[in-house]
Amino acid sequence: MLVVGVVLVLAGIALLFGLFREPVYTAEARVSIRPQEELEGEEARLAFLESVRGAVVTEEMMREVRRRTGWEASPEAFSERLDPRTVVNTGGGSGLQIRFSGNEPGQAARAANAYAELFVEGTRNLDDRPLSDGVPVAEASVEQRALPGGYSPRPLIYAAIAAGAGLLVGGAAALILEGRASGWRGVRDAELTLRVPVLGTIPDYSSKRAQG
Amino acid sequence: MSEDGARGLLDPGSPVRGHYEKLADNLLGMGGTGSVVVTSPDSGAGRTSVCLGLGAALASMGRRAAVVDCNLENTQLHRMIGEPNFVGLTSGLDDGKTLEHYGYEVIPGLLIVPTGPILSEPASLLEDERIKMGIRGLQKSRHLVLLDAPVAQKVLRSPSLLGGFDGVLLVVHASRTPKSVARETTDDLLEAGANLLGVVLNGCT
Repeated sequence: MLVVGVVLVLAGIALLFGLFREPVYTAEARVSIRPQEELEGEEARLAFLESVRGAVVTEEMMREVRRRTGWEASPEAFSERLDPRTVVNTGGGSGLQIRFSGNEPGQAARAANAYAELFVEGTRNLDDRPLSDGVPVAEASVEQRALPGGYSPRPLIYAAIAAGAGLLVGGAAALILEGRASGWRGVRDAELTLRVPVLGTIPDYSSKRAQG
Repeated sequence: MSEDGARGLLDPGSPVRGHYEKLADNLLGMGGTGSVVVTSPDSGAGRTSVCLGLGAALASMGRRAAVVDCNLENTQLHRMIGEPNFVGLTSGLDDGKTLEHYGYEVIPGLLIVPTGPILSEPASLLEDERIKMGIRGLQKSRHLVLLDAPVAQKVLRSPSLLGGFDGVLLVVHASRTPKSVARETTDDLLEAGANLLGVVLNGCT
């Protein structure tokens, strides 16, 4: 009973949390960036990407990204939902992965795409200017545009995880309470618990006397 | 338990007599149980009541029995049967005579031996070799001698009670003894080498 109770309570809380929490939609865009010279090693490519990002991403660009997204809240809140990452693929391709988590699918896609497009424009404006490591950008393009979708809160998954946690917590609590309990459920219970034979059971004498 | 309650256990019409007779049957059926140490994981489990009820059941079955109070730090048995404690186990050991003369035959076939006056260190008294000899002497005239012993932790500290007699009977109270404590006690007793005959589940509802 205890285990079932804990499981139900935790799963219920998780379900309600999942259902009534403000929905979050995540969209993802990708920008491919190629240097003019072939760079050896992952570290060198990552450093190149970081230097490109450092040169391209400005406050002015971010303002324009927010404008194209139709963002009305604070710039800090926008930055919290934006997650641009430099990525280097094993096949040699490298670039930027831009994720944005919005309150509605269109907004998320708009933000990710605006960032990607403005980033590519920014790299073109760099012309052949060498970056901090001396290698200019040869080509940058939007490799993948973000599509509306990607609903992230999954109430049923949350509920299932909570039910699993409930099983563990409830099971542990039941074991502890069982150990501390002094209510014996009869001979079989006593023999299983104590692993010695029960030679006799004596009823509560006072209640027997009261009945007698 | 009150004096009335304890006396009630000696009454042949006691409502729990049948349960004690069954316990007595099981104990006698094991064989080689002439002297049994009755202990419990904690106080209040009903060791003394079980000793009295079991002793009375044995007597009613035609088996001569004796209950010896070994609770030297907290004597109870004489109060429960409403008798004085002027003489008992300690006096018998001091005098070197059979304990038959230091108790009360409360019903035919059941001798109750109280502790007697406690003048020296109770723990060392229990370790005195004479106590084993005294019980063995009593076994000559009694089919079964029940030693109403202290709680198991004290029995575990007493090599004499732990291994000096035929076996140990553990009284567990159905609503007062926590399972974990009872389990720990049986483990400790078995680990210490006690011949744990079994358990009495007392106070069942």
